[in-house]
Amino acid sequence: MRVIAACLLAACSAAVFAQAAGKIRVEEPWARRAAAMGGSGAGNGAVYVMLVNESAEADALVAVQSDAAGAAEIHETYRDMGMMMMRPVKQIHLPAGRKVELKPGGYHIMLLGLKQDLKPGAAVKLSLRFEKAGAVSAEATVK
Amino acid sequence: MARGLRSAVCLLLVCGAAAAGPLKSGSFHPPRAAPDFSLTGSDGREVKLSSFRGKVVALGFGYTFCPDVCPTTLADLAQVHKKLGGAAKDFQVIYVTVDPERDSAQQLRKYLAVFHPGFIGATGSEKQLADVRRDYGIQIARKPFAPDSPLYVIHHSSFVYLIDRAGRLVAMKPFGEPLDDIADDVLTLLGK
Repeated sequence: MRVIAACLLAACSAAVFAQAAGKIRVEEPWARRAAAMGGSGAGNGAVYVMLVNESAEADALVAVQSDAAGAAEIHETYRDMGMMMMRPVKQIHLPAGRKVELKPGGYHIMLLGLKQDLKPGAAVKLSLRFEKAGAVSAEATVK
Repeated sequence: MARGLRSAVCLLLVCGAAAAGPLKSGSFHPPRAAPDFSLTGSDGREVKLSSFRGKVVALGFGYTFCPDVCPTTLADLAQVHKKLGGAAKDFQVIYVTVDPERDSAQQLRKYLAVFHPGFIGATGSEKQLADVRRDYGIQIARKPFAPDSPLYVIHHSSFVYLIDRAGRLVAMKPFGEPLDDIADDVLTLLGK
């Protein structure tokens, strides 16, 4: 009985999950070519993407996971008197019905400690976690 | 020199495009001799700026840990190189690290090869690099990557300077300038 309940629960949550995930559209993710520095952990990369919140309520990108690197973090580049600065951000706010672009010189997903070189044409698998929509898988093409 | 350059930068910010002349990037009027330097190249040889007379040089500053701004600049410069076609033989990108602690000549070579094998990285002692930054008005700020992280980032000015065939500092390009404009400027400087 308990097993059946657990299965049902798993099935239900998976269904809810899939439905919820449809509310954020992940458009054309791409990664900048980058060197893994011989797998020393010193090579980093960046992924950019357009996030479209198709739901009627605000959401937020809160975490990213990728097997391509030791860690994936959400970062923001900003400019101050000609100096380009970078800082981690806890989340990227996604207003209802709006598009938010992660692009060079702005928000990006930083891949810390690349396991191998990101060569043009290759794919980087990612899992983006949204506060309300849950996890959404994506594949970024290296350019 | 440094003060002169900084004033020029301020003037540029004030005058903007009005003073730009035929180039699309902010130009220096009048152009002056680009401050020379001698550093260690990513190919293991000396990089002496003045030895590149006869070529147009794009001089940038950054570091290999940088995932966003530096690769964007280098990818743009690689595109510029491609757009130049045959004229690219007289165009040289020199990329000076702001992070000698992590960026050995070998690290720079690996990092730059992703963008273009002909790009030259330059590193040196803290003092040598600080002197070059002073001469070009490049500021840096070293900060922890995150609270309690052993890693660090180096915030840095992200201008790319254009140096003409005669070794004169003629223009500076802020981050994010359209690469077609840079390519046009390099072609102008190459006399094409």
